[in-house]
Amino acid sequence: MSTSLRFALVGNPNCGKTSLFNRLTGARAKVANYPGVTVERRIGHLGGLARPAELLDLPGTYSLIVTSPDEQVARDVILGNMKGEASPDALVAVVDATNLRLGLRLVLELKELNRPLILALNQVDAARKQGITIDVAGLSQALGIPIVETVAVHSHGADALLKALADFAADQAQAEVVRTPVEHQTVEASYHQIESLMSQFVVRPDASLSWQDRLDNIIMHPVLGLVILFSILLVIFQAVFAWAAPVMDLIDAGTTALAEGAEGVLPEGVLQDFIVNGLIAGVGGVVVFLPQIVILFFFILILEDSGYLTRAAFLLDRPMRGIGLSGRSFIPLLSSFACAVPGIMATRTIQDPLERMIAIMVAPLMTCSARLPVYALIIAAFIPEQTVWGIFNLQGLTLFGLYMAGIISASLVAWMMRRRQTREEYPLLLELPTYRWPMAYHVLLGLRERTWIFLRRVGTIILALSIVLWFLASYPAAPEGATHAAIEYSFAGRLGIWMQPLFAPLGFTWEMCIALIPAMAAREVAVSALATVYAVGGESADAALGYAIGNSWGLPVALAYLAWFVYAPQCIATIAVVRRETNSRAATTFFTVYLFALAYFAAWATYQIAMLWY
Amino acid sequence: MNTAVSPAASLTESSALRLDQCAKGAEVRVVDLLAQPLFGEQDQHVSLRLKELGFLPGARLKVIGFGLLGRDPLAVQVNGTKFALRRTEAAKVSVELINPESR
Repeated sequence: MSTSLRFALVGNPNCGKTSLFNRLTGARAKVANYPGVTVERRIGHLGGLARPAELLDLPGTYSLIVTSPDEQVARDVILGNMKGEASPDALVAVVDATNLRLGLRLVLELKELNRPLILALNQVDAARKQGITIDVAGLSQALGIPIVETVAVHSHGADALLKALADFAADQAQAEVVRTPVEHQTVEASYHQIESLMSQFVVRPDASLSWQDRLDNIIMHPVLGLVILFSILLVIFQAVFAWAAPVMDLIDAGTTALAEGAEGVLPEGVLQDFIVNGLIAGVGGVVVFLPQIVILFFFILILEDSGYLTRAAFLLDRPMRGIGLSGRSFIPLLSSFACAVPGIMATRTIQDPLERMIAIMVAPLMTCSARLPVYALIIAAFIPEQTVWGIFNLQGLTLFGLYMAGIISASLVAWMMRRRQTREEYPLLLELPTYRWPMAYHVLLGLRERTWIFLRRVGTIILALSIVLWFLASYPAAPEGATHAAIEYSFAGRLGIWMQPLFAPLGFTWEMCIALIPAMAAREVAVSALATVYAVGGESADAALGYAIGNSWGLPVALAYLAWFVYAPQCIATIAVVRRETNSRAATTFFTVYLFALAYFAAWATYQIAMLWY
Repeated sequence: MNTAVSPAASLTESSALRLDQCAKGAEVRVVDLLAQPLFGEQDQHVSLRLKELGFLPGARLKVIGFGLLGRDPLAVQVNGTKFALRRTEAAKVSVELINPESR
């Protein structure tokens, strides 16, 4: 027996397990209002108990008879089938009080395992608001399980559960629980028992047409619903450009002032060059995009927390089936707009193995937030800021177009992958959660998290690569009597010039080729790499990178570069997660090769077609 | 585990009303779960999952919405919880109308 006690949170999808987990362990795991946010088990430490204890957060499941990879994780942990891991000492069944029948059914199934079990009746505040009254003491006695009322989203809500866990730990220390065998019962018998429990211990008012149902009448309307969905997406892209501009100008002005200040203070020479062209140009070039990333995530977090996303999955199920995916792939693919890594992990909620593979293959075609700086830089340099049709901003529309290019390409790729095989039917059976007002707490926490992740990337990988790049772009120095710009004699310059013939059909300059390499580590670095290369190579250290590329690229080249980024440089982290989730070297190789090929072809075609006009 | 569906009650030969044939707003009671050949070997798993989610004989359902193309999928409310199911799944649920006027 291990020295530390292990408790596992088990329950239906979206019943609030991760919120409880965060409250109890002080963790900051992602929570949202849709089933399947948690796809991997997570371990946190529980303080304040007589013995050291840890809490496991599991993916949600309706049943121990599982149908998808994320449910399999939950089952394996509960039954102790996880390699190298004993089964938990006690299970904490989390039940959504507003959705008792479904939760109690799983509880009855867990009870048959004959393991120590505590029931956490979650979201009791929401149940009370709906007029549901539950005789907790009576229900607890009838089930023979201790029940604790919790409100996971409030800080005081989890204390009672912690106390129950502490009591359990104290009891465990004294005596081994005597376990009596239990007979297995059918689903019919379970529901029979649940109905009897419900009639004895639960009073709920007659369901009337609530605002929730009225809202669903509009949002899930076959035509209106799709119009609303499309409008929401368009508004997000408009906002990313329109709302961010004032703050971005401020950051830009700050960076420029900093660079000028440094030039004034520091003596001319290597140190000044390093600070101004290496650090400030490289890092400042990326930091300026923070407001846009914050705005993008603000909208994503609100949508996640409201319960809207599964409605969108519902509306898109049939259209997505036309291309070989389904509504089940919607949320994993939408998550990929933030980053493909969690998006690819979220495909575990997909039951159909072939659909899951296709979703993994096309996930990086969803424009991740790391590409936003690259797009934004090039759009701002080449696309005039003008109003179209009275309300739209041309830059915002271009950005929307780039996102659409990714989505349409993903559709085509998915369709081609599915066409070769006949489709086996898998059920949809998706729960549509109750709408709820996005909680400021969740949204702010999420924004803080995303800001922190972004700034940490800037402070670590982007900073480090900027320094390396500055060094490579500055040394070796130009020989005496050099006829070309000094940077062309440096390591980076030589590498770029060496790569350039390969990318010549795409119209890429050697400066652009250099930026492609560090972009493999993190796509934003393409921006800081360009900033450093142009700053080092430039006559004067001009912080306005957009001005520099606007003068030297030409529109066809800029469009080709954008096309390249729509498809390729999937970062190394993405390739690694594909390898882990598919567990196949062949699939990973295919994934890498096809995306690079697509990128090369798309950039080539864009450049050649644009040249015809230009 | 008793997940078997009586062989007589296959959806192809049943003449009773099925959930996928119901109009929006219809309130119905589940009569039986039928076999769906499209699901092949895993049909029993689908039946079991439907039951686990509350689609059991006697349960009251309300059809609350449809998708755009081919009125697929359906949104159904059971025991106060809303689910999205495709027509292939809904065709497994044989139902009777509770209130004939609502059709």
